[in-house]
Amino acid sequence: MKTWSDVSEVQPLASKILMNSIRKGRISHAYLLQGERGTGKEAIALLLAKGLFCTNKSDVEPCGVCNMCRRIESRNHPDVHWLEPDGQSIKIEQIKNLQKEFTYSGLESNRKVYIIKAADTLTLNAANRILKFLEEPSKQTTAIMLTENSQSIISTIRSRCQVIDLQPLNPTSFKRQLMDAGLQQQDAVLMSALTNNVDDAIAWSTDAWFAEGRKLVVQLVEMFVHKPEDVFLFIHQHWIPHFKERSQQEQGLDLLLLAFKDILYAHLGSGEDTAMLHMPAEQLNQLVMFYSQQKLITILHELLQAKRNLKQNVHATLVMEQLTLQIQR
Amino acid sequence: MQNKLTPSKRRIIFHIDMNCFYASVEMAYNPSLKGKPLAIAGNPEERKGIIVTSSYEARAKGVKTTMTVWQARKLCPELIIMRPNFNRYRAASREIFKMLAEITPFIQPVSIDEGYMDVTDVIQDATAIQIAQKLQQDILNQLDLPCSIGIAPNKFLAKMASDMQKPLGLTILRKRDIQRKLWPLQVEEMYGVGEKTAQKLHTIQVETIGDLANKDVYTLKQLLGINGERLQNRANGIDLRPVDPEAIHEFKSIGSSQTLPRDTTDEIEIRQLMHLLTENVERRMKRKKAAGKSVQLMIRYHDRQTITRSKKLQTYIDTKEEILLIANDLWQTHWNGEPIRLLGITVQEVEEKALIGKQLDIFTYENEAKKEGLYSTIQSLSEKYGKNPFQSFQQEQDTDQPHTSFQKDFLDDYKK
Amino acid sequence: MKFIIQRDTLISSVQDVMKAVSPRTAIPILTGIKLVAKQHGITLTGSDSDISIESYIPAESDGIVYVEDIEEGSIVLQARYFPDIIRKLPEKTVEIHVDDQLKVTIRSGNAEYNLNGLDAEEYPQLPQVNTDDSFDMPIDLLKGMIKQTVFAVSTMETRPILTGVNISLENGELHFTATDSHRLASRKLPISSTSLSFSNIVVPGKSLNELNKILNDNEETVEISVTNNQILFRTKHLNFLSRLLDGTYPETSRLIPEQSKTTIKAHTKNLIHTIDRASLLAREESGNIVRLATKGGELLEITSNSPEIGQVTEDLNVHAIDGEELKISFNSKYMLDALRAIDAEDVRIEFTGAMRPFIIRPENGEAILQLILPVRTY
Repeated sequence: MKTWSDVSEVQPLASKILMNSIRKGRISHAYLLQGERGTGKEAIALLLAKGLFCTNKSDVEPCGVCNMCRRIESRNHPDVHWLEPDGQSIKIEQIKNLQKEFTYSGLESNRKVYIIKAADTLTLNAANRILKFLEEPSKQTTAIMLTENSQSIISTIRSRCQVIDLQPLNPTSFKRQLMDAGLQQQDAVLMSALTNNVDDAIAWSTDAWFAEGRKLVVQLVEMFVHKPEDVFLFIHQHWIPHFKERSQQEQGLDLLLLAFKDILYAHLGSGEDTAMLHMPAEQLNQLVMFYSQQKLITILHELLQAKRNLKQNVHATLVMEQLTLQIQR
Repeated sequence: MQNKLTPSKRRIIFHIDMNCFYASVEMAYNPSLKGKPLAIAGNPEERKGIIVTSSYEARAKGVKTTMTVWQARKLCPELIIMRPNFNRYRAASREIFKMLAEITPFIQPVSIDEGYMDVTDVIQDATAIQIAQKLQQDILNQLDLPCSIGIAPNKFLAKMASDMQKPLGLTILRKRDIQRKLWPLQVEEMYGVGEKTAQKLHTIQVETIGDLANKDVYTLKQLLGINGERLQNRANGIDLRPVDPEAIHEFKSIGSSQTLPRDTTDEIEIRQLMHLLTENVERRMKRKKAAGKSVQLMIRYHDRQTITRSKKLQTYIDTKEEILLIANDLWQTHWNGEPIRLLGITVQEVEEKALIGKQLDIFTYENEAKKEGLYSTIQSLSEKYGKNPFQSFQQEQDTDQPHTSFQKDFLDDYKK
Repeated sequence: MKFIIQRDTLISSVQDVMKAVSPRTAIPILTGIKLVAKQHGITLTGSDSDISIESYIPAESDGIVYVEDIEEGSIVLQARYFPDIIRKLPEKTVEIHVDDQLKVTIRSGNAEYNLNGLDAEEYPQLPQVNTDDSFDMPIDLLKGMIKQTVFAVSTMETRPILTGVNISLENGELHFTATDSHRLASRKLPISSTSLSFSNIVVPGKSLNELNKILNDNEETVEISVTNNQILFRTKHLNFLSRLLDGTYPETSRLIPEQSKTTIKAHTKNLIHTIDRASLLAREESGNIVRLATKGGELLEITSNSPEIGQVTEDLNVHAIDGEELKISFNSKYMLDALRAIDAEDVRIEFTGAMRPFIIRPENGEAILQLILPVRTY
C-alpha cells in the first residue's frame, strides 16, 4: 500500500477522512490509528509523513520518489522519528531519547513527525510524558500513534488525538491476495487465520522452522489420542526445544488453537476451511471421536489461559506442562 | 536491642581504632602505595591544600594533619598526595563493622574508623585476647587494614588502651594497671580532655592524669562543673557507660509516647495527649538542634493491636504546630474509631540543623525571602541563647564523646 | 566519484568530523561519514543529528596541492571502518574511487580496500546558510564566553530549555545566559561589525562544550549565523552546526537584583582557595553547604562541617565590606564555579539578604555576571 488510492481499497473510510483533511490543509497534530495487524496502520503513517515533507505532491498523493519520500521510507529522514517496542515493550531509554527530541528543533526544518508503534505498550509513565508533549503541540509537529489494542490506550491520550478506526481485513480477499502471491490454498487458509500481514504470511509459508512447528502441532494433537503416556516426553524433547523464543511459544499455542478449532468445526460440520489438520477423513474422524465438543471447548479455554500465562512471563515449560495436564484430564 | 549487661558485672570492652584509616584504605585499594609516605589532602594540586591524614611513613618524616601540602612537601619531597575518597572509606567502614557484628551484637560505632564492642558474653570459648587477636588478623587479612585494639573493663580505659600501641597494637588495660600505665600520662592525652579543659586544669596544678585522679572533687567541680567529677572518675578507671548499639540512632528519630490512664475514644482527651506529645518532641528537637522530614504516629488499641503510620514531607520541620498538623492528619486518616490505649508521635529522618539546607531557586525564592525577617529573628534569638551550631559543635569536642554526632546513619549499615 | 588525497590531511579531517558521529543513533545513515567531491575540494560531514561537523579540504591552498584527479560525486562511508582504514594505509596519498553501484575502492600503495558505500542522497540536508546573516568574532572571545557560562546550564530534564545557553545579539551586544535555576551565568560582549539582531536562540550546553573542544585556538575568527532551527559556527575549514532547543527561554534580566545591602570586595584567588578548603569537609549529598559571615572590619568567616569528618573555620581578609552584616549559606561548588569563571584579579560580591540571590562581578566591569541562589538553613 504505497499510495492513498491503494489504502482506500482496503480502508475506504479512514482514507477518505485523512485525504480530506490533507486537501483542506487541516492535518491534526496527533493521530491515533487503531486497527488489527495488517490493516495498514504503518502504510497510513508513512503516507501521512511523506505528505508533510514531499516536495512533489500531486493532490494528496506524495510522489514516493523524491529525496524526502525516499528517506522517510528508508527511515533515514532525521526529522521523522520512529518509536517502536524494542522486544516486549518500549524501553525507558527510548522514551528518554524521544523526550529529548521533543525539546530540540528539527534538523532540516522545524517540521517534525513522531510515529509511535504499538502505542499500547507504553508504560503509564511514558504515556504521560508523551501526553505532556501533546498538550503543547508545536505548530509544525505531528504525532502518529499506532495500536492494535485500542482499549489499552489511556483515555487522556485518546482524547488528545484524532482517532482513526481501521476496519478489520476481509479474510476472503486476504486469502485471494495470498494465493495471488503464490501460496497454496491450504497455506493461505492457515496464514489468513494467523495474520493479516501479507509479508509475514509469505515469509512463514516458506520458513522451515514454521513447517516443522506445524508438524509438531499435528503430532501433539494425535499423541493425546494414541500415545497419551508419551505426551510429557514429547513436550520436553521436541516442543520446548523447537518453540524457544517467546514469540515462537505464542505461535505454537496459536497453531495448537487452530488445530483444536479444526476438530470442533469437524464436529459441527460447519464447512469451515481446515487450517491445520490436513489429513484423510478417517484419521480426522478418530480425533473427532476422541475429543467431545464439551472437551474441545474446555481445551480452547485452557489454551487461551496458557497464552495469557505466557504473556505474564510464566515459564514456557510450566505453561506447556500445565496445559497438557489439563487437556489429558 | 537493649544492652542487658548491668554495670556492676565485670565487663570486657574492646575499643577498635583503625590505624591511619584513610591512608590505609588507599593502600589496600592500591597496594603499590604500601610502605610509601602517603597523605590525603583536600586539594593536592594546590600548595595550600591541607593534609587530612597521612601514613606512618609520612608521619615519620614529620608530616602532620592540618599542614598545608606545601609544608608537607618541604618535609617529605617524595610524599604521595591524594584526594580523599570518602565513599571508599565509608564502604571499608561498613565492612569492618560487619566483621565486628559477627562477634557480638553489642557494638557501638563511634565514627567512621572506631567503635566499641562488649564481648563479656562471648568469651566462653576463647579468651578476650584470642578474640581480639583473631579480629585484628581477620580485618588485616580480609580487608588489608591495620587496627589497634584496646581491651579493658570499660569504654574509657579501652579507648585509652587502643591509643597506647599503634599500629596493630593489642593493649590490655586493667584497673590494677592504672597507676602505672595511665597516671603518668599528661592530662592532655586523656580522652575527653580538650585543649581548653587542659589549660583550665593546669591552672589548678593538674598536669598528669594521676594529678587529676587525686585532686579533690570540689575544686574540680568548681572549675569544670559536672564534667570535672566525670573526668576524675575516668582517671580512676571508672566509666559505667554501656556499649550502646542504639547510640547512633540517637538522633535519627525523636519521639514521645504515652499510655492513657484508661482506654478511650474521647477525642478531646486524645487531642490533649497529642499536644503534650508534640510539645515533648519539639522540646527534644530544640535541645538537639534538629529538624526532621517525616512524622510517624503510633496507635495502640485496647486489644494491644498497634499500628504505625507515617508521612514523608518535602521540607524539614521542627515546630510543635507543624508536627501536630501532620500527626493530626495521620490520626484523622488512620484511626479506626476503636478505643486506644497508647499514642506515640515520632519525628523521623532527623538531621542536625547545621547540616540541612534548602537550595533556593531563582524562579521561586521570593516565597522564602518573604519570610526572611522571621528567620533572621529566630536566628538572632538562638544566637542570644548560645545556640550557634558552630559553637556547639566545638563544645561537644570537649565533652566525653568528641567525635560523636548523629550524622552516622551510614555507620549502621553493617546491619544490612 | 574519484580523488587522490594527502593521507595526513584526510586523517585530521576525519578525526574532526568523527567528533559528531555517534554509534548509537536511530537514523541508520548517520552511522556513516559523508564525502562530497567537487573540483574545488572535498567536504566531509559527520553528525549525530544534534551536532553536525563539516570539514573542508581545498584541492589546493597556498600553492600546496591536497587533492588531485578529482571526479565529482558523493558517498557515505561506514564510520566504523573508514577512519581505521585511512589511519593504517601505507602511503602518503590515498585514492578513493566510487563506482555507480556505490562500491568504494580505497587504495594506497599496494593496499586496496573494497567497501560498500551508502547513498549520499540519504544523508540529512544541513541548512545552507546565507553569509549575509552572519557576524564574525575572535575565536578566543567565543571560547571565553562559552567557558564563562556553559557550566551553569541545567543537567535536569525537568525544564529542558534550561539545558541550553540563551544567546542573543541585540543593539550590537552579544549576550550569553545560562541558568540551572540555582545559579546564573551571564556574559556580554560588544560586536561592532554587524547590524544583525536575534534573540531566544537557545543552544544545547552539550553542543557548546563540543564546540569549545573542537575550535582551534590558533585560528583567528569564527563566523556565526543563525537559522530558525540551527546555529552555525564557521571557521576557515570547519563548519560546526548545532540544533537549537525548542521553546522560550525564561526572562532572566528582571531576576538580577539591582540594589545591594552588603558588598564585599575580595581578592579572587584568595577567596577561591578559602572556599575550596572549606568545601573539602562539606557534604556533597547535602549540597556542599559552606557558610559565609561578615565579622566586622575587613574580615570574613567561612565555615563548613561534616560530623563524620570534622569542621573547618577560616577567617579571610578582604579588601572591603560595606553595608549590613551578613550570614549566608551557599553551595560551595556553585561559588567556586562562578569565581573561577570570573577572569579578574578582584571580585565584587553584592548581597541583598540571606534568602536572596547574590551577584558576583569582576571588581571593575559589568560584562561578566555570576548570580547564585543561597541555601536556606534552619
